[in-house]
Amino acid sequence: MKLSARVSPALSLLIVAAAALVGFASALAAVQPSAADVGPTYAVRGCRIVPATGPPVEKGAIVIRDGLIEALGPAGKVKIPGDAEIVEADGLVAYPGLVSALSNLFLEPPAPAGGQAPGLAAGFPGQARQAAPADDRFPPGPGLLVLDQLKPKKASVESFHRAGFTTVLVAPTQGIFEGQSVLLNLNGEDIAPMVLRNGAALHINFTTERGGYPSSLMGTIAHIRQSFIDADYYAARQAQYARSPAGLKRPAYDPRLEALAPFVRDRRPVVFQCNNQEDIKRALKIVAEFKLNAMLAGATEAWRVAEALKKSPVPLLVGLDFRPPATSKYATQGEELRKRAEAELYPANAAALARAGLDFALVSGANADGAAVLRAVRAAVKAGLSKEAALRALTVTPARFLGLDRALGSLEPGKTANVVLVKGEIFDDGAQVAAVFADGVLFKYAEVSK
Amino acid sequence: MKKTVALVALVALAAILPPAAAFADGGSILVKNGTVLTVTKGVIPRGDVLVVGGVIKAVGENVAAPPGVRVVDAAGRYVLPGIIDSHTHIALAGTNEGADAITPEADVGSVINADDTAILTALSGGVTMVHTMHGSANPIGGANVVIKTKWGRPSEELVVTEALPTLKFALGENVKQSNRALQPGQAQRYPATRMGANAIIRREFERARNYMAQWDRYRKAAAAKNPAANLVPPRKDLRLEVLAEMLRGERVARCHSYQATESLEFMELAKEFGFKIQCFEHMWEGYKIADELRAAGIGISVFADFWAYKMEAAEGIAEMAGYCHNKGILVSINSDSGERIRRLFNDAAKTMKYGGLSEDEALRLVTINPAIQLGVDRIVGSLEVGKQGDIAVFSEHPMSAYTRCDMTIIEGDVYFDRDALVKEREESAAKAAAPGGEGGVS
Repeated sequence: MKLSARVSPALSLLIVAAAALVGFASALAAVQPSAADVGPTYAVRGCRIVPATGPPVEKGAIVIRDGLIEALGPAGKVKIPGDAEIVEADGLVAYPGLVSALSNLFLEPPAPAGGQAPGLAAGFPGQARQAAPADDRFPPGPGLLVLDQLKPKKASVESFHRAGFTTVLVAPTQGIFEGQSVLLNLNGEDIAPMVLRNGAALHINFTTERGGYPSSLMGTIAHIRQSFIDADYYAARQAQYARSPAGLKRPAYDPRLEALAPFVRDRRPVVFQCNNQEDIKRALKIVAEFKLNAMLAGATEAWRVAEALKKSPVPLLVGLDFRPPATSKYATQGEELRKRAEAELYPANAAALARAGLDFALVSGANADGAAVLRAVRAAVKAGLSKEAALRALTVTPARFLGLDRALGSLEPGKTANVVLVKGEIFDDGAQVAAVFADGVLFKYAEVSK
Repeated sequence: MKKTVALVALVALAAILPPAAAFADGGSILVKNGTVLTVTKGVIPRGDVLVVGGVIKAVGENVAAPPGVRVVDAAGRYVLPGIIDSHTHIALAGTNEGADAITPEADVGSVINADDTAILTALSGGVTMVHTMHGSANPIGGANVVIKTKWGRPSEELVVTEALPTLKFALGENVKQSNRALQPGQAQRYPATRMGANAIIRREFERARNYMAQWDRYRKAAAAKNPAANLVPPRKDLRLEVLAEMLRGERVARCHSYQATESLEFMELAKEFGFKIQCFEHMWEGYKIADELRAAGIGISVFADFWAYKMEAAEGIAEMAGYCHNKGILVSINSDSGERIRRLFNDAAKTMKYGGLSEDEALRLVTINPAIQLGVDRIVGSLEVGKQGDIAVFSEHPMSAYTRCDMTIIEGDVYFDRDALVKEREESAAKAAAPGGEGGVS
């Protein structure tokens, strides 16, 4: 729930404000706050500050203005502006807003297109099609912008806020070339003001196109490779024609290859969903073949291929689903082993990656329940991941992976005011998110007794 | 046995090798006192096989173990080369790319799943190497891959890069009937007849020829002194690239085929386009065209029995493998299965009863013969100095009905040890059964 002036009487996080400012805030209540118009200036006072990039400050203060962190430091050294609403935060811990570099928040994908799959026995009988035909089961494939499918929900925002998340990458979920993701700052209910970057990355999944080609994993891999070959070829032909069209047959426009070309020619980011250890190696091969600027998502078996990942370092967006994948030897040799692996082995993935010195972020993935995501992070911590490493994997590291580390991911003056106030240490059981600033907009969630 | 020479070589090597070589470099082991069935160099009644750094360094009598090398006493047991399965589908995530009739771009090697427990099953039957293949849904299926059954090792370490590149072809009922269960309004996948299968394969090779000619023209034009500004390279087509490899002789055909007639037709296609058929798969009517197969130098990879499970297999005979072997055809017995793979030695032994093969001949059908078919007989398939240390230890002669595999060794490392495994499982079960006990997770 948004705060500004619509303060619920039930909330007792103490906000001391000048009477004149209350009036100002009441006036704001009529309009939706947005990233560009964030209302009052806040001074958060008395909290422990964990900036993620530097040492903690025990009794600190944070000044938030115009959606940015204006100042922060020990309470005695930060000048509280006269126009600031004071947020008393004694006993709370301030963290940078957590970033999930892969989620499916707000996603309501349209039902799959009905009717038959393209291509089977097309044309006259016996017409063999070209290898890896340029079509996708879920058009427009790589050209899809998931932003167009999103329906923000207050409950989803609250669920993620309560788990400490202020920033999410939302990725599409259907097909092999699933489309392009959008990066959102969870600052309200309207989608447009949330957008940090549309078309953030192209998402690729090693799945099959049911009912059509490819119908197998090996076909899918061939399809992905042929598609990148075709996109590169397409862009080269278009460029050649643009340079000297005389005497050259005009290359036909192809929306699919047009959308795909920047990812293979200009190194725009690509994310491969890797659901088991072999997928990771399959993705690494394709990444090397086409020199892609890639991240690997899921990667819940990355600990099993740490050696291969050390040889070809690539950002990992590590999921928090601890169920052994269906192909794993931990899933195919009886229920007892499977359960034990889920409880003991897979939660230790992140810890093993940290020990191996691999660069990884933790992501919420398909899980829409913020509390469950936070529980899973805590399980990873219990399985050996240090709290500091967990925090980095949810703040500075994903911000860097997404090219936003100058604006997000830590508590520093000049950065976006994404701040989470927690009663307790966020990765301890029972810790509760009391309030969240997203782009300087305050959301209050819990009673906090001083 | 040239024992002394081998021993001298081994002493020199032992000095430079660490006592226990790491997995990736191959292990060292001495299997002593067994009846050694070398397959290619006869039988040593009480012999030893020494592997150092993954490679066989000595086969003979009274071979001494270099310091630190594990010694396995095989007294009363039989020591043979690791069994090789020329045709199976284990350790893969998916078998067929059945959405299309022509799919050479689908590479089985890209979907290896090193976690498939069938690898362990194979080891328990002494199998150390398999040709794991695309299925038979398509006239032209995908590229196959040869792997070793190194259970627990990462997938990239399983691949046998020395093997001959192969491409799966298929004829007959499977091809005709793929994608027969149709959505309303959907046309049945072409081809639906045997003649269609032949025609579509011919057409694809015609396309591949044209594709190669396009590239040749382009490369010639691009290499000219002043290439034209409007010169456009052809589109790279993964499907046709693989068929071009066939036409250049860099890859050979492994063709699923049951009946004599369609096989002869496929042999005509191979002649027409100049590609090599390495092997016909299953080939229940092989006995009808044994002379033609031998003349063309085509091997067969077959079941020992188990025919008549469909119409096109109705004319199979139990004597098939033995008869063809005696006709001079290179025969292997395959599993085509993640279960039968653990008893290939039993299947090979059936050729003694049906076909009259000797013990030694029968053993060849699952060792050196499949090695030749896969183009790896330089490195495996028999116990010879210089070959890779892939060894199986059996309790009885492998062609005995009472035998079982006790130990399987690949490149000097033990991957299956029946006694150790049984003990480990019993301990784990006992632990789990104990109050508050916890079995181990490894």
